[in-house]
Amino acid sequence: MSEINNCYNTWFGEVCLEDGLKVFRSKNLKESFQSCKNWKLPFSVKDAGMIAFGSESEYYRNLRRTALQVAEERVRKELQSDERYLISLLKALDEIDLGINLFSEKIRDIEETRESSLTEKFNQIVSDLKTFRKDLENEINSHAERIIPNVSSIAGGVIAARLLEKAGSLKKLASMPASTIQIIGAEKSLFKAISRMKKGKKAKTPKHGIIFQHPYIRGLPKKKRGKMARFMAAKLAIAARIDFYGGELNEELVEIVRKKYGELQER
Amino acid sequence: MRVIKEILNNTFIVEHRDSSFLATKSRYPPFYGEKKIGDYREWKAYRSKLAAVILNGYTPSIKKDAVMLYLGVASGTTASHLSDILDSGIIYAVEYSATPFKKFLELAEERENIIPLLEDASKPENYSGIVEPVDFIYQDISQKNQIEIFSTNADLFLRDGGEGIIMVKARSIDSTSEPSEVFNFVLSELEKFFDILKHGGLEPFHKDHIFVHVRK
Repeated sequence: MSEINNCYNTWFGEVCLEDGLKVFRSKNLKESFQSCKNWKLPFSVKDAGMIAFGSESEYYRNLRRTALQVAEERVRKELQSDERYLISLLKALDEIDLGINLFSEKIRDIEETRESSLTEKFNQIVSDLKTFRKDLENEINSHAERIIPNVSSIAGGVIAARLLEKAGSLKKLASMPASTIQIIGAEKSLFKAISRMKKGKKAKTPKHGIIFQHPYIRGLPKKKRGKMARFMAAKLAIAARIDFYGGELNEELVEIVRKKYGELQER
Repeated sequence: MRVIKEILNNTFIVEHRDSSFLATKSRYPPFYGEKKIGDYREWKAYRSKLAAVILNGYTPSIKKDAVMLYLGVASGTTASHLSDILDSGIIYAVEYSATPFKKFLELAEERENIIPLLEDASKPENYSGIVEPVDFIYQDISQKNQIEIFSTNADLFLRDGGEGIIMVKARSIDSTSEPSEVFNFVLSELEKFFDILKHGGLEPFHKDHIFVHVRK
């Protein structure tokens, strides 16, 4: 912010207030467009811009062209990096979970053998890790809400991110049938069952993969879990497609999943 | 096909084959799967909350040469019709999420009255050097702090006497309270800074939503 000399950053350059408006037009509009942070301007950007561009139509023509160029570039960049960012956050979360478990175990081992001032320090590290884990989970939730709002509203951020990770990309997740989404993460037992069936033996295919971690499935008695998993997977498949094709959050989907859970719980 | 009633600039109730619907007159092709009969693009109330407001009997006056700031433009369903209405105005369209914005950019490319901004509406300082003082702010962002976001944007960009429409979804403000309680809270918050011209529900098109029309 460069308000010190009564100068302000606008998308087309610097504007200074000294006996009226003095405009210093930027040589690179795309650059100045992306670095024009101010608080409230004491003049209209458009009035100042008319001085720089000569006419209203020229002003808007340049503004629109620059805005479109910048927006297209940003969209391209964000869409590329968004999914990868979410997936790497999730992987970090898994590693940290492993770390916390491992460390807690070691602490117990040490404590059992001898009283040591080191364990105090060690405990502190683990508790810091736990705090960090919470931050990480929050970031996963808020980011998932942003890039896959429908899937994460049904599944929750972490499970949604995990589905995305296993599928590889949102594009792939969106093109999966519900039955595949239902058993993502249980491939091993699925293929075991299939190969048994091929040999003519009896086998049961898995009812749920990753989505088992969802409280709506885990929270039901065993007999009802398959039904819930099937239903949720069907809605997740729809949600993934809405998200992929740039749709907005559709509350109805969550609502019917919630309702279904309520029904199954009562019965 | 015949026009039954004019509602706003380029906005009509038209009748076609025994059914009547809301539409905007447009020289552009359909954008979100709506039908187009002659020059008239159907404005679907189940897709656009502003259409729901109008079909429920309230039409905020939106002038054709207005300068508008649109917060939460998403993929541009409503914006496509506002662009028809404001045929000599301008729309600064802000959206934070890149996924729907990609679709919206197709619209922004073809419509000369749209300035697309991929920005966070809760950080208006980032686009204060771009957006001129506006006559109207339309907000549809379903976030917990959306009223605060509206107020800061109004403080920065809305001229005195300018108006705004805020779409409020009860669940996104507080999912545990009764919608009516949430709406009362929202109205009392808005009353501190604005005159409330009108508010109402969006049933049957959108559940647990209200619109609030305010003036600065």
